[in-house]
Amino acid sequence: MIKKIYLIGNPNVGKSVVFSRLTGVEVISSNYPGTTVEITRGYLKLGGEKVEVVDLPGTYSLEPTSTAEEVAVSLLREYAKDEIVVINIIDATNLERNLFLTLQLIEEGFPLIICLNMCDDAVHRGVHIDVSKLEKILNVPVISTCAVTGLGIKLLIERIKEAVSRSRPKLSHQQRWIEIGKIVEEVQHLEHRHHTLRELLEDASVRPLSGLIIAATVIFTAFKIVRFLGELIINRITDPFFLNLYQPLLEKLIFHWQAKSFWFHLLIGDLINGKIDFKQSLGLLTTAPYIEFAMVLPYLLSFYFILGLLEDIGYLPRLAILLDNLLHRLGVHGYAIIPVLLGFGCNVPGILATRVLESKRERFIASVLISIGIPCVPLQAMIFGLLGKYGGFYVSGVYLVLFSLIVILGLILNHTLSGYSPEFLIEIPPYRFPPLLILIKKLYLRIRSFLIEAVPVVLLGVLFVNILFYFKWLNFITTIFTPLLQGLFGLPKEAIASLVIGFLRKDIAVGMLIPLGLSVRQLFIAVTLLAISFPCVATFVVLWKELGFRALIKATLIMIFVSILVGILLNFVILPK
Amino acid sequence: MKKISLLQLRANHKGKVVEIQGGMGLQNRLLHMGVFKGKEITKLSHLGLRGPVVIKAGRTILALGHGMAAKIVVETE
Repeated sequence: MIKKIYLIGNPNVGKSVVFSRLTGVEVISSNYPGTTVEITRGYLKLGGEKVEVVDLPGTYSLEPTSTAEEVAVSLLREYAKDEIVVINIIDATNLERNLFLTLQLIEEGFPLIICLNMCDDAVHRGVHIDVSKLEKILNVPVISTCAVTGLGIKLLIERIKEAVSRSRPKLSHQQRWIEIGKIVEEVQHLEHRHHTLRELLEDASVRPLSGLIIAATVIFTAFKIVRFLGELIINRITDPFFLNLYQPLLEKLIFHWQAKSFWFHLLIGDLINGKIDFKQSLGLLTTAPYIEFAMVLPYLLSFYFILGLLEDIGYLPRLAILLDNLLHRLGVHGYAIIPVLLGFGCNVPGILATRVLESKRERFIASVLISIGIPCVPLQAMIFGLLGKYGGFYVSGVYLVLFSLIVILGLILNHTLSGYSPEFLIEIPPYRFPPLLILIKKLYLRIRSFLIEAVPVVLLGVLFVNILFYFKWLNFITTIFTPLLQGLFGLPKEAIASLVIGFLRKDIAVGMLIPLGLSVRQLFIAVTLLAISFPCVATFVVLWKELGFRALIKATLIMIFVSILVGILLNFVILPK
Repeated sequence: MKKISLLQLRANHKGKVVEIQGGMGLQNRLLHMGVFKGKEITKLSHLGLRGPVVIKAGRTILALGHGMAAKIVVETE
């Protein structure tokens, strides 16, 4: 009786893709080591029985050298060996390195079946592997697959029952590598060929000069495309829908409704010159859906599409190498660029992804920098929504403040926190070109989780604000914070409401700041403060879960201190009246 | 044949690993990824003055921090 099936393999061999194929559970996969930081579980129907399948984080050996590897290895020993099956996933383009773990698994007596993945890519690269010979030498079933297209998965499922444990003499590490050399010599045939364009690009992107040129081009182009696609969706789809269809319909419906009533206030909000203004009416049926679907969602779609493309091509680890030098001064190593980029979409997955960093210290620094200095898409939608009409000067000003904060804060944290940040040792994946379908699937997963998590909070937030306004409960808080706001930041006392609500979600603040009629200078200060002060409540929870309570308090104190300082600096020094 | 550190090895040159200084931790991590005593590696690039070093070992491309690269001794012509 098989109780569990474990998927194990080196980082970035496509375990998560195989897992999705086996269980139907959709998980996010990318072309860089360490995409899977959590253990995912799903079920596979095997001869009428439902068996749990566990997708383990990537590991190079059974002697763990990192926390992720420790988790993988300890889970593997949860059950007796005759109750489990281990599917070892191997990257066919790099047989030699992958076999180290395979031999260890066989030596340890795990019931094993090998999934030789990425076979199509291997053929493209001129790597030919004699599968039946490999099966004979290792004495365990070997199935060649291409998980991205689903090729070979059916056969893999059929042969799971053939997995048995074999005995093999235990080798020393050195002996094992020698043994692997012999095996590879026998089963692998390398076609001799000239460098392809892909290989030339792979090379050029890790060399100092060409690497920087490529990085600058990639980042610039990515930014341009994100903006272009986002605007395209807004101008062609969402704005026409809201302004030409939804608004007239809504206005007809409310024609006879008493504008002063409680429910009107809640659902529609305030009329601006007798009409609904989606950006500032602040009703559950007006501003709430408009902000989420017509201001945030379009950019989220375009951002995650481009990010997914860069992830799956395998560019991000190369960017990490180029930035390692700089990021080291901020107390994290180059790989921190991956959580940072994810943080631009939403800080929550960004902070979760700091698990790719080894030490607690690095994770703390990276998380604080992300939550203070990296604006998520909703926050950026707010920045553009409020300051965009005053031109690029103010918008880039906010980004400049955020960037300087990251650098200064990183330098300070690196100097003051005890401990050290370890150096990185990462594998650089080859470039791969993901099928469009895979990209769209990933985009769908990310957008779905955004909709599930964000939309209820936005609705609740708007509801909450409206009730507070209607019964004038905010006056109390406003009075307390008036000296701070007026005296230090030069903001009217009403702005406090948006800063407080910013804790729930940043994007709602757009609808709250526009009606105040602030000057550009005041808007700039308010927007910057919203960006750097507390992250939204979801980020807060994730900070707590990932770093622990003490670190959360520490991070919060840093945030309060930084926001007050920046507010004063902006008000008195940088933008004096 | 002379022994130099991986930092001194020039880009696009090959070398055979003869020693990995430092603790067992680093030795094991590198070993699991296919870099061990006796393995022939190619240095691809070195980024910046104190930046990481990129090497190729077999079909694996690895990036390692500056300090790590300093601990790897290679033999070259």
